[in-house]
Amino acid sequence: MPSGALLFQSVILGLLLGGLYALLAAGLTLYFGIMRVVMIAHSAFLILAAYLAWWSHTELGIDPLLSMLVTVPLFFGCGVLLQRLLLARLRPVTLTMMSVLLTFAIAVVIEGLLGYVFSGTQRRIQLGYGSASLELFGARIAVVKLIAFGLAGVALAALYLVMKKTTFGWALRATIQHRDAAKLVGIDTDRVAGFGFGLGLATAAIGGTALSLDTTIYPSLHWHWIGPLMAIIVVGGLGSVPGAAAAAMVLGLAQSLLQIELGTTWAQTVFYLALFLTLAVRPQGFFGGRLAQRF
Amino acid sequence: MLSLETFELTKAFGGNLVLDKTTVSFQHGKVNALIGPNGSGKTTFFNCVTGLIRPDSGRISYAGADITRRSPHAIARAGLGRTFQLCRVFPRMTALDNVLAATRPRGANLLRGARGRAEIDRARGWLTKLGIEHLMQTEARNLSWGQQKLLELAGVLMSEPETVLLDEPAGGVNPALLDRIGGLVRDLNAEGRTFVIVEHNMDLVMSISDHIVVFDRGRPIAEGPPSLIRTDERVLGAYLGA
Amino acid sequence: MPSVSERSTKIAATVALTAFAAVALAFPELAPNPYILSVGIVVLNYAVLSTSWNFVGGFTGYISLGHGALAGLGAYGTGLLITKGGLPSFVALGVGAVLVAVVAIPIGYAALRVRGASFVIVSIALVLVTLLVFQSWASFTGGSRGLNVPRPFPGMLRPEHHRVFFYLFLALLALAALVWWLIDRSRFGLGLKAIREDEDKAETLGTPTFAYKLVVFVVSAFFTGLAGGLYALWFGDLDPIFQFSILTGSYMVLMALLGGVRNLFGPLVGALIVGSALEYFKVEFGNTPLHLVATGVLLALVVLFMPDGVLPALGALLRRLSPTTDTSIREVTAAELAATGGDRQHAESRNL
Repeated sequence: MPSGALLFQSVILGLLLGGLYALLAAGLTLYFGIMRVVMIAHSAFLILAAYLAWWSHTELGIDPLLSMLVTVPLFFGCGVLLQRLLLARLRPVTLTMMSVLLTFAIAVVIEGLLGYVFSGTQRRIQLGYGSASLELFGARIAVVKLIAFGLAGVALAALYLVMKKTTFGWALRATIQHRDAAKLVGIDTDRVAGFGFGLGLATAAIGGTALSLDTTIYPSLHWHWIGPLMAIIVVGGLGSVPGAAAAAMVLGLAQSLLQIELGTTWAQTVFYLALFLTLAVRPQGFFGGRLAQRF
Repeated sequence: MLSLETFELTKAFGGNLVLDKTTVSFQHGKVNALIGPNGSGKTTFFNCVTGLIRPDSGRISYAGADITRRSPHAIARAGLGRTFQLCRVFPRMTALDNVLAATRPRGANLLRGARGRAEIDRARGWLTKLGIEHLMQTEARNLSWGQQKLLELAGVLMSEPETVLLDEPAGGVNPALLDRIGGLVRDLNAEGRTFVIVEHNMDLVMSISDHIVVFDRGRPIAEGPPSLIRTDERVLGAYLGA
Repeated sequence: MPSVSERSTKIAATVALTAFAAVALAFPELAPNPYILSVGIVVLNYAVLSTSWNFVGGFTGYISLGHGALAGLGAYGTGLLITKGGLPSFVALGVGAVLVAVVAIPIGYAALRVRGASFVIVSIALVLVTLLVFQSWASFTGGSRGLNVPRPFPGMLRPEHHRVFFYLFLALLALAALVWWLIDRSRFGLGLKAIREDEDKAETLGTPTFAYKLVVFVVSAFFTGLAGGLYALWFGDLDPIFQFSILTGSYMVLMALLGGVRNLFGPLVGALIVGSALEYFKVEFGNTPLHLVATGVLLALVVLFMPDGVLPALGALLRRLSPTTDTSIREVTAAELAATGGDRQHAESRNL
């Protein structure tokens, strides 16, 4: 039986990890809501952002957090272009399947280019505050993990405010809920969909920066993220952001707790187990209805 | 004798109650019509009856058996065939294959050739009856709207349903074709098939139906023979918007 | 009554098939050295894999990116049945493939119950989770150290070994293609194609779509498992990284799409093109990350510009070259469309 302090530390770490999962799953949910697209390249962009943060730190000597000034707008632009130039070209009949292939292809290209430019070597940012940690009831929590969680939390809150309080958010929600009706009330749904993708990819930029702070990165790392993220959005109920956030927290926590007994690799299987069980038992997801309630 | 019945059928999308404890029955061996203003729940009713949408509560029975929780193919095999409002054919299959796809092989028959002599003759029979036999080898996506509607109907008839649900058979077709469809429904009814037809074209409804059910906001507000419905004030109110 | 163009397509197909069969049968004699022969085996293996993939992808339109895992399971199943179970090589191959088919039942059940996206998600997850398990469960699978599969013909020299396996893969390809063809012309196949075209519509016509999809998925898994197992017997050395690679699955998709999924020989043509290109790349440039880039770019191009593959494109070219009467039907259609076009506006969007 693990000690109370270890257990407590695992709970805290699990929640911190869950926060990052929640942010990234929100991005995936956004794409799915807009176009019914499962965006496989989401996590490849995540790793790309982490590499850019690492590169700007080691080559330019600037704090990885500052790299977001470039990566967030850059990724927003990429997202808009991705939707407008590539995904919008696909035939509606086969969109679900073909868009998976297309985004899969993009993920593979990003992985290959990262390997070509930065080599397959594992990389890690060495930060001045990298080893600092806080003690809380006997649990040691690294400061960088708190920063990462803070970033994810702020980004999620910002996303929520954009969706709920702005005209663009209103138009985006309308587009997601009923595209034809949104068109009828004068919303330029193509434009809005493009911006929605930009918004989703911007969350990957923030997530990637947060990830780079305390994780060793390598080009094929994105597969270790897309699996859990897909599991999260299915368990949460495809298309539901609150559902995805709840599933992210629960599964992040489960992963962290299972690591105590099983080690990191076996603990990862919890996501796949949850994915298979959800689809076999309750395909509409456990948190919020499938496509019923979005935002 | 009653064939298709629902009891307190309820379905909501989000907060929008589309079917509100709908209890209704249709007459066996007759041409029934289901009419009502746009958004009164007619298509949702069809989707629930054919199993494409799960109702939130309530019961559906057909020929005395409860079919509420059955899957769409089981309902089809029980004898209920349907067409769709925006007619649906298999776009990249030939007209002949579209009709052949409606056969229901079982067991070892599954591996027999799809284009057996007997099947082709039967399929050709329906295509001829609907007047599109000459388009047999044409891919469905290359057919006109009217031809696609006829093809969809041919497919449904090939599956030998006892009861046929038609969702707006007159939608978007020209007057000549309209007459043909009307005549066809009467002919097939004379051979013993039951029809339930959702339709906005009142001339067609009044000329071919024996029994009419009027929906408003998810529940039946009136029913009876055409002569009665024509003069019912509630029906008028529903259409003019009370 | 087949039209002129149809007949000419058929003749072209027969000629191409005969030529392929002749070259394939003579290939072990023609190959200048054992290396070229082994490349031939690799390409044939790809052809079997993508033909097996096409049972699901081609008939139902459901795209699996996870068939690499099924091949890996077949390979490891065969290897473990020999090393741990003590079964004779070819018995292990058969049992292994049956096991893969059995495993595919619950996977298919979870993946196919819901329409669309879930299937792809499960297929990708399958690769990730099998890689995780086979790497971590080192005591049983050998983990990252790999698994040595004993040769089925111990005394045989390398060139002879290659020759035998070349014909074994060729026979497996012929078997998979034969079964695909049988399904293609059957009532079952027509039902599957109806699912590809419009699943709801197929259901309302009385086709039990879930059962159909599950059966064809299991058949596909069986052949994929056989191909994986035969590869294990030939290659003799298994590493989870390569056996449970997401790339294997994406190669199958790329080959089948490039060749044309609606066509019996589409995956074979795709495998000949992509497989040879992959081996060529390996020799010229070694194992650089650039082959990932090339694979990705090619896949994206096929998805965007040629989703029906090269064979249909060639067919269309043939048709354009030979004068036909096909066009008249289309002209009538266009005229009728114009006539009813105005009325069509009435068919407003589906109301709820």
